[in-house]
Amino acid sequence: MPLLNLLASLRRNLFTRPRMERDLDEEVHAYLDQLTDEKREAGIGATEARREALIEFGGLEQVKEEVRQARAGQMLGQMLQDLRYGFRALRKHRAFTMIAILALALGIGATTAMFSVSYGILMRPLPYADADRVAVVYMRFFPRDFAFGTMCIRDYLMWKENNRAFEDPSLFTSPRMDVGGKEGVPEQVQGASVTAGFLSTLAVRPLIGRTFAAGEDQPATGSLAVLSETIWRRRFAASPAVLGETILVNGAPTKVIGVMPGVFRFPQRQTEVWTNLLLNPPTRFGPWFYRGVARLKPGVTLQQAQAETNQIGQRLMQQNSNYHRLRLPVLGLRDALLGTTLKPAILVLAGAVGLVLLIAVVNVANLMLARATVREREMALRLSLGAGRGRLVRQLLTESVLLAAMGGAAGLALAWGGIELVRAWNPGNLPLIDSVRLDAGALGFTVLVSMLTGVLFGLTPALQSARAELNATIKEGGRAGSSSRARGRTRAALVISEIAVSLMLLVGAGLLLRSFGNLQRVTGGFSTPPRQILTMLISPGGRKYTDARAGLAFYDEVLRRARAVPGVATAALTDSLPPDRQGDADSFMMEGQTLAPGELNPIVTDATVGPDYFRTLGVPLLKGRYFSDHDNRDSAPVTIVSEGFASRFYPNQEAVGKRIQQSGPGMGNPWMEIVGVVGNMKYLGLTVDTDPAYYMAFAQSYGPRMFLAVRASGDAGRVAEPLRRAIQSIDPGVTLAQVGTMEQALALSVSQPRFDTMLLGLFAGIALLLAAVGIYGLIAYSVAQRTHEIGVRMALGAARADVVRMVVRQGARLAAIGIVLGLGGALALTRLLKTMLFGIGVTDALTFLAAPLGMMLVVLLATFVPAIRATRISPVVALRYE
Amino acid sequence: MPTANLLQGTLDLLILKALALTGLHGLAISHRIAQITNGTFQVKPGSLFPALHRMEEAGWLTSAWGESENKRRAKYYRLTAAGRRQLQTETLQWETIALAIASALEAN
Repeated sequence: MPLLNLLASLRRNLFTRPRMERDLDEEVHAYLDQLTDEKREAGIGATEARREALIEFGGLEQVKEEVRQARAGQMLGQMLQDLRYGFRALRKHRAFTMIAILALALGIGATTAMFSVSYGILMRPLPYADADRVAVVYMRFFPRDFAFGTMCIRDYLMWKENNRAFEDPSLFTSPRMDVGGKEGVPEQVQGASVTAGFLSTLAVRPLIGRTFAAGEDQPATGSLAVLSETIWRRRFAASPAVLGETILVNGAPTKVIGVMPGVFRFPQRQTEVWTNLLLNPPTRFGPWFYRGVARLKPGVTLQQAQAETNQIGQRLMQQNSNYHRLRLPVLGLRDALLGTTLKPAILVLAGAVGLVLLIAVVNVANLMLARATVREREMALRLSLGAGRGRLVRQLLTESVLLAAMGGAAGLALAWGGIELVRAWNPGNLPLIDSVRLDAGALGFTVLVSMLTGVLFGLTPALQSARAELNATIKEGGRAGSSSRARGRTRAALVISEIAVSLMLLVGAGLLLRSFGNLQRVTGGFSTPPRQILTMLISPGGRKYTDARAGLAFYDEVLRRARAVPGVATAALTDSLPPDRQGDADSFMMEGQTLAPGELNPIVTDATVGPDYFRTLGVPLLKGRYFSDHDNRDSAPVTIVSEGFASRFYPNQEAVGKRIQQSGPGMGNPWMEIVGVVGNMKYLGLTVDTDPAYYMAFAQSYGPRMFLAVRASGDAGRVAEPLRRAIQSIDPGVTLAQVGTMEQALALSVSQPRFDTMLLGLFAGIALLLAAVGIYGLIAYSVAQRTHEIGVRMALGAARADVVRMVVRQGARLAAIGIVLGLGGALALTRLLKTMLFGIGVTDALTFLAAPLGMMLVVLLATFVPAIRATRISPVVALRYE
Repeated sequence: MPTANLLQGTLDLLILKALALTGLHGLAISHRIAQITNGTFQVKPGSLFPALHRMEEAGWLTSAWGESENKRRAKYYRLTAAGRRQLQTETLQWETIALAIASALEAN
């Protein structure tokens, strides 16, 4: 009844004010009527009776206003009193309050942050109109075998000709570009070369100017550029006068026609210049540099589009006998931006953080229940002193809500801080990080869950005491009532589930940690310490350097000046770098080999490197020799192959002395003699198995954009500035980009697994902490409850060790049950981690052994503290403890 | 008509007492108080209504519409369990105070 009364009162005051007003009015008038009746019965005339009644009543409106104030005052007064009392109670039980708030804050904070990140990356609408109708089209074929590989212009023309599913298939590629002109020193930026329909397919309006018009990808068109907002602000001071101006892109005069807004970041986050790709009629298949992007026609699904491109793939195979098992995979824009590995990882992390929230909530429930038992006596006392039950319920409700509000506020701060950190630092190198922000929905959900838990378990004591026998409770002193025994079982179950769930997280984190350890041990194939290697991408700028003679002279000067920089031991040029910067891949022909028509050797890494490359990185020479300065334009063409290449294509033969040719048959490339075999290196990421590679000498295979790699005698970061100055002084058009140590490159290449591991580790840590607090609380409480019993035991001669064993056994039993359940859960759940693991299985024995052991250790520690405290109980005091 | 000023808080006690036997409507409560105090206290609507609503808000009273002796619609107030306990508590308090004041006044 009191609860109903409270709810009725709340409803009256908050929701049904008009009805209450009407009610009050009627009540007052009814009184007046009755008074008038009385007067008339006493023999006074109707009009006079009414008048007298009104006078006696004294100001209708005044009375009503006083009633309103009395009601509001009563409500407010009680609420203030509840709040004051709530604060006092929370302050008095500081440990309880701190733990509860901490648990809530961690749960709410971690969950809100992670859900916000997941939502931002996986679900927040992209800044492109109807982005779910836009698809990216790839090409996969054998022997190249890249799941999401590129196509050539001939493939594109065939697709476009036979296309019916898409509006306007367009093509793009993302090369680095040198941007220069009278506005400032030239720089190297990320560019995109795109067909005319590319920007209109994404349907983003330019900030100023226009995008490419139809036909502006046809051969006779001049060079046009659309700029990003960032480069426009950086290089052109956001001046609208940039439209129509001519800038230099890769040394070629290019007219600026528009500027895209900052939200437009496609195909890459860093893309700053889009130029028009000219579709010169191709004479052959290749080079395979391009991907397609297009908008689905209304009513066409992605699957239908895929079916259509599959048919187009069939036609392509008929035209080119070198294509085998060719397909044109179609991916939605978001999936294309995310890549294949991120989505499952984010989902796993979001699931994990959900478990953390669960544990936090269970912990709070547990704390509330523990307190309920302690407060049973207080409640009974207050009831017997005449407190209304509704009042008690309201009191406990206030406390719970207060607790949840404080936990929520702290959690909000944590979540906000966490998200800002992730955004600013982007430790996982996540795409779409710009669409991550604190999500109100996520916060609302987690706060609601925690609040409900608090309220539900906070109210238990009030509802229970409403039923309890006051006398019995007061006499018992709240020590072992039947309700508290049931509550004890509930608490034990809660602690067991906490242990089980945190063990699951611990196993997951352990697996990722082991996998990451494996990843860290992968070397990439070179032995020079990564912190001693500095690399940078150089472009000489200026169109004259497309000529090999001028270019080689330029790079000779680069090497000469680089070697003169103090601290530089060796310097070399290369177009590819480990662990994941593959410059080029191509097929090859072996001398004496006969290929059936349409047959092609596999496409492998074909890197172009200068003489000191292998020495600089520390790549072992297994046979023959390295390149030298004598391998130049005038000498016989030479090549070096990797160990993997030699063993695969020249099994049981001496590779050195054999001759190979770059690309497939009929390309007219010169025969190159294999002069050396070097160790395997990784160019496609640390997790990708060693790919075979053949190396060509830079002087015999010139390209203008090259990496400079130097080995420093000490910390490579320190030679970066002197090197930059030395190289830029050669020619004012020189641009440098991607200056960094190999250590940084390695770290960047594993940033996503590191991010996953860190987060899951963090979540598991929080879970473990909460579980430890949970079991500590339970055991400490039960020791307090058993003070009397322990005192009796000790008085009767129990040794301290016996008492410790007794208490610890209680904790160990709970832990054992929790661990068994947790292991079961882990076995079922770690399958989800499969794609995230490197070098270990999902049932890695070490992890499945270490995690439970660690868990058991933590539980025993948490149990040990109260156990020791139990031994300090003095029998005399304990027996008096009533 | 001689009326005494109501002591702060005394009105609540009087209302609780007036309702101790049975539920009453506003006017009847006023009459009942006059009756049980031998006419010492005449409670005016201006103090009666705010007190009734405040006590209802505190959970001591509940109210419901009913029909009066002379067939008029009237709002009836009844004690709740909490109200009954409150009556006990306040009676106890009042007796303590009354005793204390009386002995104070008798002191020489």
